[in-house]
Amino acid sequence: MKMDKTYILDNNLITRYVIGDLDSNERIQVEEAFVTHPELKDELNRIESSLEALAIDNAIDAPAKVKDDLLSAIKSKSEVKTIALPKSNALRPYLNIAASLAILLTASTVYLFTQLNATKDQLEVVETENVELNNDIDALHNSLEEASKWYALVNNPNVAKYILKGNDLMPEAKVISYVNDTDKSVVINTAYLPKLDDDHDYQMWADVEGVMIDMGVINTETEMLAMTYIDHAESLNITIEPAGGNDHPTVSKLITNIYL
Amino acid sequence: MNKDKALISKLQNRDEAALSLLYDKYSAALYGVILRICKDEAKAQNLLQDTFMTIWEKAGDYDLNKGSFYTWAYRIARNKTLNFIRKNDKLIQVEDLSVYKDRTEDVNEAIDVLKLKGSISKLEMHHQRAIELVYFNGLTHREAREEMNVPLGTFKSYIKQAIKQLQKAYLTVAAFLLVLIEVLR
Repeated sequence: MKMDKTYILDNNLITRYVIGDLDSNERIQVEEAFVTHPELKDELNRIESSLEALAIDNAIDAPAKVKDDLLSAIKSKSEVKTIALPKSNALRPYLNIAASLAILLTASTVYLFTQLNATKDQLEVVETENVELNNDIDALHNSLEEASKWYALVNNPNVAKYILKGNDLMPEAKVISYVNDTDKSVVINTAYLPKLDDDHDYQMWADVEGVMIDMGVINTETEMLAMTYIDHAESLNITIEPAGGNDHPTVSKLITNIYL
Repeated sequence: MNKDKALISKLQNRDEAALSLLYDKYSAALYGVILRICKDEAKAQNLLQDTFMTIWEKAGDYDLNKGSFYTWAYRIARNKTLNFIRKNDKLIQVEDLSVYKDRTEDVNEAIDVLKLKGSISKLEMHHQRAIELVYFNGLTHREAREEMNVPLGTFKSYIKQAIKQLQKAYLTVAAFLLVLIEVLR
């Protein structure tokens, strides 16, 4: 019997299909009809939605135990079943070979792993050294740059060189001053200036018409030091002042001066 | 629907979490059917668990193109429950529905739980009864027609009308919800 669309609709075959009230022959024919008649498939979707909504309207919660039992039943079913190897002596030589190979493989793996770690350590050392060398190069480069700068600054026809020698207060002190009146710069070399305690600093002054003008505190940590250039300076003077410098020179602590 | 599709494909790949989610979604609807067919809570619970065992084991057989997942699960539940009843109830014969009636009387106290609710309760009594017999009691069209004592043609039109009205009722609910959502926005 060939089912047509009208027959299917007239006999509620889609509803019966959804419910499961068709024999296998009818079911197959209805399923074929869904493919050839998409509108029957739409009808199927509508009936399914209605019946599903009906079932949800009339749902009854089952006790939680059912779900627990279900999930544990599934877990116990999916557990891997172990199969015992037959206790056959024929397998023995192969097992021995396999075991030997496994031991060899393990040993060589351990060896290679140790080697790998040693190589990694060496690489780390080399990398550290490399970084240190690069830092040294940078430092050298910086000092070269500085030296070149100072060299250019002092090796200049416009630069006058004055050596300030320590007086009786500090006879060992020597300061070399490079004064450039064209560029209006003063640079001093503090290499021969004895270190002071933490509470005192050297301070440099320019004498302009009897007034001492501050040229700056001397930082003895730096060998070459730029000071403030003062116009019309008649002399350069260095005093010992409280740490951080003073507003006015302490004349009693004058250690050196020179007339320009 | 799309969410189900992903869940089902996970289920078919034997994902236990997917089974757990599908159980949460559908077990109450299926339990409502099983309990209404077999009318025995302990047996219904076993049958529900058994239904989900089959869903788990036969998930690969489910074909999206042949209907919804719920429909597929419903058929499994219905078949299992009917087979169980037929096997355990030696007295039952296809033509004799007296046993079915006896069973109903045993559970008079539970009748309120099993009484149909929602949109179906608004249908005409004979439409309601026809759907109840085929959908919630597992009777074939022929059995149900005999139970209601009406000609087959009449019974067919009961089912047709009932489905149509259910569809309309649920569409109205859906439309109402849509309007509500629109108003609330």
